[in-house]
Amino acid sequence: MASEVNTDFLQDKKLDSIAADILRPVGITQGFVVWMGFLGVSLMGCIYAYYIQWDKGLIVTGLRDYISWGMYIANFVFFVATSLVGMLISSVLGLIGFKWVKPIARIAEIIAVAFAAVAGLVIVSDMGRPERLANVILHGRIQSPIIWDVTVVTTYLTISILLYFLPLIPDLAISKGRMNHTPKWLQNMYEVLSVKWQHTPEQYRLLLKAIRILLILIIPTAFAIHTVTSWLFAVTLRPGWDSTIFGPYFLAGAFVAGSAAVVIVMYFIRSNYKLDKYLTNHHFDMMGKLLVLVSIVYLYFNINEYLVPSYKMKTAEAIHLHDLFVGEYALMFWSVQLLGLVLPIILLLFSFFRKPFSMLVISIVVLIAAWFKRFLIVVPTQDHPFLPMQYVPKAWMVYQPTIIETAITVGTLLLVIIIITILVKFFPVIPIWEMAEEQHELDHKSQK
Amino acid sequence: MKRYFILLIIVLFSMQLSAQEWVVAPAEAALKSPFAFTDSTRKAGEVIYVANCKSCHGDPGKNNVIQLVPIPPDAASVKMQANTDGALHSKLIQGRGAMPSFKNTLSSTDLWRVISFMRGFNPKYVQEVAVPTIGSASAQNVSIKLNWNKTSGQVEALLTSLKENIAQPVAGAEVKLFAKRFFGNLPIDEARKSDALGKVSFNFPKDLPGDSIGNVQLVVKLTDEVAFGEASAEANLTVGVPTNRPALTDQRSMWGVLEKSPVWLIFAYVLAVLTAWGFIAYVVLQIRAIYRAGSKE
Repeated sequence: MASEVNTDFLQDKKLDSIAADILRPVGITQGFVVWMGFLGVSLMGCIYAYYIQWDKGLIVTGLRDYISWGMYIANFVFFVATSLVGMLISSVLGLIGFKWVKPIARIAEIIAVAFAAVAGLVIVSDMGRPERLANVILHGRIQSPIIWDVTVVTTYLTISILLYFLPLIPDLAISKGRMNHTPKWLQNMYEVLSVKWQHTPEQYRLLLKAIRILLILIIPTAFAIHTVTSWLFAVTLRPGWDSTIFGPYFLAGAFVAGSAAVVIVMYFIRSNYKLDKYLTNHHFDMMGKLLVLVSIVYLYFNINEYLVPSYKMKTAEAIHLHDLFVGEYALMFWSVQLLGLVLPIILLLFSFFRKPFSMLVISIVVLIAAWFKRFLIVVPTQDHPFLPMQYVPKAWMVYQPTIIETAITVGTLLLVIIIITILVKFFPVIPIWEMAEEQHELDHKSQK
Repeated sequence: MKRYFILLIIVLFSMQLSAQEWVVAPAEAALKSPFAFTDSTRKAGEVIYVANCKSCHGDPGKNNVIQLVPIPPDAASVKMQANTDGALHSKLIQGRGAMPSFKNTLSSTDLWRVISFMRGFNPKYVQEVAVPTIGSASAQNVSIKLNWNKTSGQVEALLTSLKENIAQPVAGAEVKLFAKRFFGNLPIDEARKSDALGKVSFNFPKDLPGDSIGNVQLVVKLTDEVAFGEASAEANLTVGVPTNRPALTDQRSMWGVLEKSPVWLIFAYVLAVLTAWGFIAYVVLQIRAIYRAGSKE
């Protein structure tokens, strides 16, 4: 990101057309009402499922004494993972100087905010006594990675919100006068949120400085959030979790899931909002290349994570690996590895598959595989504790998620989609001022 | 040749079988309890059973034993009850594999009490009491006193018995000395017989760890309970090496409570949180500055 902004673009006529394109879908439309109605009604069903769990406790889930981390924790890891893409795209790629990420950066930040915000709720859903939530802080021990996780998730969410909000401020000011088709309350909200933005050089200087600080700050925070999440597992001495590469392994996997999520949201914004001019085939092509890169890194970590222990086949590890490779979880394991990782890498190497629609299909498969991958990391390890399972009913020795549990998990996903929908529908989804500035500079150069 | 092989296999196989059996010497298997099993011995036995046996063998008759290899049998099971009283007594003393030896932990009388409790679950059981030999020895109701002889570095036991209300030394009685541990007793020196003055001297090791001031809980027991009855004594003597190991939770550690967390961890955590939130606060201040700059225009 440049350290100075040439505000000449404000006088450029191109600004009007760009603003018109991007602001056209903003506001309440019939499609939005129907979509939100559908999401809302579905969410009510999921909230009822949570009411049952609140009333009866975790007995309504498939979680028992031995397998006490199931779908909820897998879902939590998946959410944290997906949210990391905000850091990768707007920060790492942006700071390096890739210009193509400009129209995608805000989408990545929206995904970061939505997934990080709901991740905290997912943890609460895994608590048998959620009314004792405050005890996590009141009686927490600083030695516990759970406290580190709570701290770092909160920090990451705050930085992501700020990193979404700050580049939005000039856009809110630009949009103020061009929002006649939207309800009055939305215009008032823009007025408040634009914090008296006047496009002065001083304001741009302050804004760019603040954004630059956040872009740098979010890198160690994002590394911390997912490394600490991996430590929740890696600090325990259990086969499948007792690994020294869990931090980077989780980070690499996070970028795969996040990139796929960005592609999916990009596709729907482009097709619903008719923004082909801004989210071009080139952007999908570049996202495809990014997805190949992060997938290859993740594949490398996967080979490390499974090949090394399976070469040694220590007794306890062998039982776990046998379960994954040829046992109970073999179908899930190989589907995730082949369909969710190897096949996308092969396909995306060809430019033919880096077109928007095929990218959408591949990304959906990758994202679903990413969810099941987290399930495979969390659950199978608990099937084989070091001490024998005894004195419990047979049903307690295996984990079978219940309908209520599944409904609550679906509910958290719906909540993410609702947050994304609201942010995408009520605010400009592509940075108007950055697009206009870029366009102005391009025109200026060609005139010279 | 083939025949020899088959023979060899049969022999090996039967050896394998006998290796799994827990055989007790016939003389020990024939041993009988010196006292008759009554409700009071059964009750006393139950207390000992619950404290020492239940964790593995479960409640007799309920088949809730711990799943070890080999599986410890239920005390009420046919397999267990097929043992003679003497065989049970001997197995309790010996122990095998995961089954500990209670030789130094429980007195012979206590072992008979446990057997008495176990037999309560067998309606077909008819007890044969040993031919009484009590009274054949020179003394009964022996009492023992333990002392630390600083000059000789020995632990001394004095065995006396009341005869017509006058304490008489008990000679020729064998006693054993133990130091108490978390589980069971640690034998110290060898079993020794009392001299004509009823005195027994045990050599005591110089390097036995005691508590913070060197105290060791000692137990002395008569071995021949049939001849002399049951007698033991305990004493807390300052005979060990003072050992002051702080509890694992006393120091700052990763497993302690919050107040005992490692200093480096508090430092790292606070530093990381302050750095991140310091920058966040600074950014929020920048938003305020933007607002002020806009208000001036």
